[in-house]
Amino acid sequence: MNHKLDDIDTPIDVLEDNAPPPSGSRGFLPIETNAFDRCFISVVIWIALSLFWFRFMEPAGLSIWISNVIAMAIAAIVIAKG
Amino acid sequence: MHSNRLGWLLLAPTLLVLGLFGVVPFFYVVWVSFHQWNPFAANPDMIFNGAENFRRLVFDEAFLASLGATVSFVFFAVISELVLGYMLAQAFMKDFPGKGFFRTIHTLPLIMAPIIVGSVWKLMTTPSIGIIPNLLDSWFGFDLNIGQSAAAAFIVTVVMDVWHWTPLVTLSLIAALVSLPQDPFEQAQIDGAGKRQIFWHVTLPMIAPAVLATVFIRLMDALRTVDEVLMLTGGGPGAATRYVGVHIFKEVFPRTNYGYGSAISVIVLYLTIVVCWLLYVGMLAPRNTGKG
Repeated sequence: MNHKLDDIDTPIDVLEDNAPPPSGSRGFLPIETNAFDRCFISVVIWIALSLFWFRFMEPAGLSIWISNVIAMAIAAIVIAKG
Repeated sequence: MHSNRLGWLLLAPTLLVLGLFGVVPFFYVVWVSFHQWNPFAANPDMIFNGAENFRRLVFDEAFLASLGATVSFVFFAVISELVLGYMLAQAFMKDFPGKGFFRTIHTLPLIMAPIIVGSVWKLMTTPSIGIIPNLLDSWFGFDLNIGQSAAAAFIVTVVMDVWHWTPLVTLSLIAALVSLPQDPFEQAQIDGAGKRQIFWHVTLPMIAPAVLATVFIRLMDALRTVDEVLMLTGGGPGAATRYVGVHIFKEVFPRTNYGYGSAISVIVLYLTIVVCWLLYVGMLAPRNTGKG
């Protein structure tokens, strides 16, 4: 019974025919991204890291500037190679 | 070149309105979030305090509790609306007596203002005069008191949101289901697929974009719920239904703490964008990977 269903095991992609040609590039991130996406991801990481730092690292005496430097480094990597 | 200029010209009014009422207020809120500002205090000036508001909010137990309550509220409300909305949409795809009447009736909550929904549900759930506590008491002997029970208040806010917004989900999904081609369903039936297989392998992938768009709309809406809940429970009992929108309202208006309230708003917007983006990527990445 189930072998008859082999051809519907792959979900139908209704967007496939209308999808525009891919305009982004593929790096180590699991999705295809353009420059804006990578900037957006960098900002998201930067804010998350800053909030994490405020909550857990700053009380231990580590300045927020360390988090900013780490976020900048991550942003550079994501923008260049993401 | 000419058509490009015409395109920008036609877009200009929209961009202008969007800029004036969307982008400018957003940057203003971000600007205020870096200040201490109480316009009704002895010193009504804005005082720049760097990231102090953000530093404060990660330790603010009331805010973190409201965020937790909001996540629970959004999870239960959106999931329920989606499941119920899909079931109703499937029901409306079939013919039955009184279908048009029922379809009209079921969309009525959508046209009600949230503040009215809140007051109607407050009347319906007030222990002495409300119909719901009276019926629950006479049928099951259950004492519903949303002024005393935190769990009851939470459940009632979820049910109220589901009652208000399920019709939106139903209408979106009806539109998606109506537009589906019949061929894949017939092919699947010829291949011997059962109802469940057809749902998971044919229907769901085909309506996925509509489901995703509906979830986005409901997610963003549910995350900023204020008026309904404020009217129904006022955020209580205690802080049981003090969802993040209500928390911001109480921080900004009664306490006139504009800077801190703006910081919370910015973080809530950040969380909303991140959640929606992760959902989008989560549904898009497997699709792209599948294409190889």
